[in-house]
Parts: sequence; C-alpha cells; structure tokens
Amino acid sequence: MKSKATMTRREVLKGAAAMITAAPYVITSAALGAGAKPAASDRITMALIGCGGRGTEVIGGLVASGAQVVAACDVYRDRREAVAKRYQGKAYADFRELLARDDIDAVLNATPEHWHALVSVEACRQGKHVFCEKPLAFTVYEARTVLDVARRYDRVFQVGTQQRSDRNYRFACELVQNGYIGEVKSVFAEPGGTSRHCDLPAQPVPPGLDWDMWLGPAPWAPYHEKRCVNLYEWWNWRDYSGGLMTDRGAHDYDIVQWGLGMDGSGPVEIIPPDGKGSMLTYRYANGVILESGDGGWGTAGRPGALVVFRGTKGEVSVWRGGIKTDPPSLADVKIGPNEIHLYESDNHQANFLECVRTGRRPAADVAVGCSSVIVCHIGNIARWVNHPLKWDPVKLTFPDDEQANRMTWKPMRQPWRV
Amino acid sequence: MSAKMNLIACLTAALVLGWVVPCLAAGEGADKAFEALKTYDWGTDRNVLKPIDDAVVASHKDAAARKDLETRLAGVLGTDASRAAKDFVCRQLSLIGTAPSVPALAGLLADEKLSHMARYALERMPCPEAVAAMRDALPKVKGRVKVGVINSLGVRRDAESLAAMVALLGDSDEETVAAAVAAVGAIGNAEAAKALEAFQAKAPKSLRLAAADAYLACAERLLADGKKAEAMAIYKALAKADQPKHVRVAATRGLLAVAGKGKQ
Repeated sequence: MKSKATMTRREVLKGAAAMITAAPYVITSAALGAGAKPAASDRITMALIGCGGRGTEVIGGLVASGAQVVAACDVYRDRREAVAKRYQGKAYADFRELLARDDIDAVLNATPEHWHALVSVEACRQGKHVFCEKPLAFTVYEARTVLDVARRYDRVFQVGTQQRSDRNYRFACELVQNGYIGEVKSVFAEPGGTSRHCDLPAQPVPPGLDWDMWLGPAPWAPYHEKRCVNLYEWWNWRDYSGGLMTDRGAHDYDIVQWGLGMDGSGPVEIIPPDGKGSMLTYRYANGVILESGDGGWGTAGRPGALVVFRGTKGEVSVWRGGIKTDPPSLADVKIGPNEIHLYESDNHQANFLECVRTGRRPAADVAVGCSSVIVCHIGNIARWVNHPLKWDPVKLTFPDDEQANRMTWKPMRQPWRV
Repeated sequence: MSAKMNLIACLTAALVLGWVVPCLAAGEGADKAFEALKTYDWGTDRNVLKPIDDAVVASHKDAAARKDLETRLAGVLGTDASRAAKDFVCRQLSLIGTAPSVPALAGLLADEKLSHMARYALERMPCPEAVAAMRDALPKVKGRVKVGVINSLGVRRDAESLAAMVALLGDSDEETVAAAVAAVGAIGNAEAAKALEAFQAKAPKSLRLAAADAYLACAERLLADGKKAEAMAIYKALAKADQPKHVRVAATRGLLAVAGKGKQ
C-alpha cells in the first residue's frame, strides 16, 4: 500500500499547506490517527458502488471504523453526487471507470441484487477487496462464480450478513454446535416469500437516471418508479431479486447454516409449501429439517430475524437483540476452552477492514455467503417448480430435475457477463 | 346392478370427473391465456397469463401436455404479438423448450430488441440444437447483439465455437474482443490456452486484465481436467513481474494448487 500511503500523506499535506497562509500550521488529530481512527497514511481507501439507503448507511460504518471514501458510483446522478460531496471524493456514473483506479483498495457493493455478482467479480478482477451487501448473488451460478473469482485473486470478501458479528447469534450457534441442546432435530426461520413477475406500465425516465444501466443484466423493461426507486420496490420483482427469500433469507439461512455447521454445504432436499398450510421445508443429509415460514419477520408478533434450533435436550431461539434458551440455564453456559468457538467478530465493518490489513478471512467470508445464499435460491426454485427437489450441495445441481437446473442461472442481457 | 356395483360405479365416476373437470378447466384457462397473449403488453395485469405459468408447472410429469404447450408457445414468436408477449414466451421456453422450439427462437437472435430473450431461452436449453443456433448466428449478428451471443456461447463453454472466437480476438470492436477473450477462457481447453497465450503477448493495455483473467480461468479449467502441466505453464507465465500484483497473487495460488497445496 506504499503508493496509497504516499498519496494520502500528500493529500493531508496539501490540505494543511492550504491553511498555512491563514493560520499556524495544523495537522489534525485524525490525520495523526488519534483515538480509534488509523492514521491517514494507514487508512484503507474505499469506494461506494450503489448509493441508496443501505449503501450510505454501511459506508458510514466503514468510515467510522477507519476507511477513507474516495469515490462513489450510482446510476442516479443525485445519489452519487451527494455521497461524493459528503466524502470529498469523485462521482462516477459507470462502476468500471471507478474500479480502474489503482488508488482504491476496496469497494462496498450496495447495488440491487441483480447487479451484485457483476460488480463483485469485476472488482476482484481489478484487484479490489469487496464488502458486498447480502445476498451475495442473484442465482446459484453467479454465487459460485463470485466465490471462484474472489478466491482466484485471494481477495478479502465480506458479505453483509452482519449477524455473523453479533454475539447473541454466535453464542446460540456455539450452544448448538457444542451439543448443549442435544441432537438437533429441526430449525425454524421465517424470512418470507418469493418475488413475482412485474407488469408495471411505462413511465417517462426521470432526468438524472441511467435506466439502461439500472437494468444492467436484467431483461429490458420500461421504466416505472416502482420497479426500482428503492429496495422495498425492486425486491418484489423476480428480474431483480429473489424477494424476501433472498433479502431476509440471506440472514436467516446464514444463521441456520452456521449453527448446523453447514458452511460450504447445504440441504439435500427441498419441499415447497403445499398451499394448505405446510411450510417450505428443507432436509439436510443428517436428517435435520429446516422449516421456513412465509410470513416474514414480525409475523404473529415474533421478533425479526428469528431462528429457532430444536434439539433432543433443549432449544435455543435467537433474534436481533435477544436470545432465549430452554432450559433457561443454557443462557449462562460459558463455552469452554476445548469446545468449539466460532469466528469472533463484534463489528462487521471493522472486521472487514482488519482483514484487508492482515489478509485473514472475514467473519462472513464469500464462501460462507455463497453456501448461505444458495439455500435461498434452491428454496425459491422449489417454489417455482412446485414439486419436491433433491439437491447436491457439492456439485450444485438438482440430480434428477433438468427444469430446475435451468433455473440455477439467468442469461444476462448484453453486454453483461460475470 | 347390485347396490355395491352401483356404489363402485358412482365412486369411479366421481374420481374421473374429479380429475377430468379440473383438467378441462385448466385447458380452458390456458386457452384464454393464449388468447390474452395476443394483446398482452406491459401495464396489463400479468395474472391473465398465469394459467400458462400453471400449465408449465403442471406439465412436469406430462410429456404430451408439455410438448403441446411448447408448440403453442413457439408459435407465438412468429406472430405480431408485442415485445412483452414474446418476452413472456421466451421465459416459458427457457424452462420447457426443446429442439423443436429452436428455429423460432433462432429467428429472433438478430433482433436487437428480442435477441436477449431468445438467448434467455436458448442458453438454458441443454439440447445441442440450441447452442448450434447461437453458434450459427455468430457471423450474422453485430454490435452488442454479437457480444450477447458470444457471452452465451461462453457460458455454455462451446468448444465448437473456439475457432470463431479466436478469430474475433482480432476484431476492431473492443467489447467484442473482450467478450471473445472471456469465452475462450471459459472454454478452457489446450487450444484455448494457446490462443490466449498469443493474445496475452499483444493485448492492448485496456484489455490486459481481461486477458489475464481469461488465461487464469483457462488454467483453472485445465487443472480441473487433470492437465497439470498445461495449467502450470499458464501460472508461470502470469507470475512474472510485468503482471499486476493481484494477477501474480492469483498465479502463485495457482502454482500452489497444481502442487496440491494452498488455502481454500
């Protein structure tokens, strides 16, 4: 990072030099790395690609953990210019131009779901480390490709499943993995349902939006505000998202996989709901059943991002901000030195930056994100074909269903490819 | 007829009707949906087409029904139905299309507005006729449509396209060259490796990273196929000091992988 350190010092001195004429020479404490922030010369330079609500929130957390933002990209001109101005960086309409800069160490990819893989793989090919908002990718094929390219270049790649940096979720999974609830029999999660086809009519494209670029690899369709203006709109539509199954499922199933010790693997059978009250059901090779509710977070007063592990000797329920065990005494367990201790991280953004510095794999490494998001996608495919499916988590295929296999990827609109 | 026989006859009739009536209803629903397809466009309630979605799902174990659906769907592509309607048809054919649908889809490959959706179906169809149609279209299309066809052939790792792809490495359009480089890397056999070695040596600056990435992808394919010596040659070439640092990192990882070492 020598060249970046030099540039950063140059920028600091340039700023300081500008003040000499007006005031005594001043170097800010932030520049010297006072408090929690690293010195300017050690800061990781980042760019934000996708300047919507979540992107601007997460980049703030990365800055608070010591990153320096030098560029922002979005297909909405106002959004990219606002972020660029806030961080005194440069605004880009095209992420490829941004990624071609050699003074950027890492990017935050907060684009819509159908863009995640494209931006992530291009970033890796350009030598950048990546923090990619969840879900990792839009299809099974794209998830696998992102993993392959990230590993090819040995990039630090964090998926934005921040529950992997939450002590309640970690403790719950440690209780499960260390056998405190006995043999796990079933798990419950409730991410919600799938996306649907969009039939919105055409509206004029607003000024300042590159609609063709927003669509990117997705099939062409006329602009309508409700296709795209924010997450809560585009997550409805199958050309851009897997719906709540991927948006929330990326979190819920990630914890299921973590607790079951299934990172890098997955279920072997999926049974769609029967339309008469049964839930989407997954079965793992060891017999564990995962039941997935359609209601979504908060259904029937249940807490959001709830995951319940049920075993022969007890049960642990964990959600954002809480944990409950049965028997209650499990909550006071101290995991011993010779027991399984899961990856410890208490701040997802800081963990990413630390790993960029050290080369260590982060808490929600791309391989973890890949296997977790695949659980979402195969569940969706089972819903869409509406019959039970067998799944091979090693070969990433449905062994006996050619139609389901066709759904493991979506051919991209030209000129895009991963 | 005895009472018992009457009961059996009634139960049998009820079972048959219980199966036939829904089938007839489903058939009528699909007929109405095909009629609606003639005037369907963006802004129309998508639910009018749902009976076709349902018929596709229901045809999973009924080859005859599926074939009939496929024929009806492919027939729409040659009509003056709207772009939105043909988009819908291509999506359905991407799920159930087989060789008989290929000509109707191939006919759209040169259409700037519908080429992508034709590929949406063809790329997903495992029959050799589908990839052959895209291969045959390659010399007949241009611009971004051509780039799309190249990309699809790359996804399918179509070795029979390799000679055509290698020729495109000398194209005047940079997007076309970049697509061809990626496709050659995806095909990833020994001939592809030779072509990429030659291209690497003279790639313009703007394509050097793309060329290196394709070469690395090729090496991974060769290694997966057990061709260690060929893979090692690529990794050694890319480990040289004139490559960017992250490419050298990738090449070093590759060399470790060939030796059976290195973290995953």
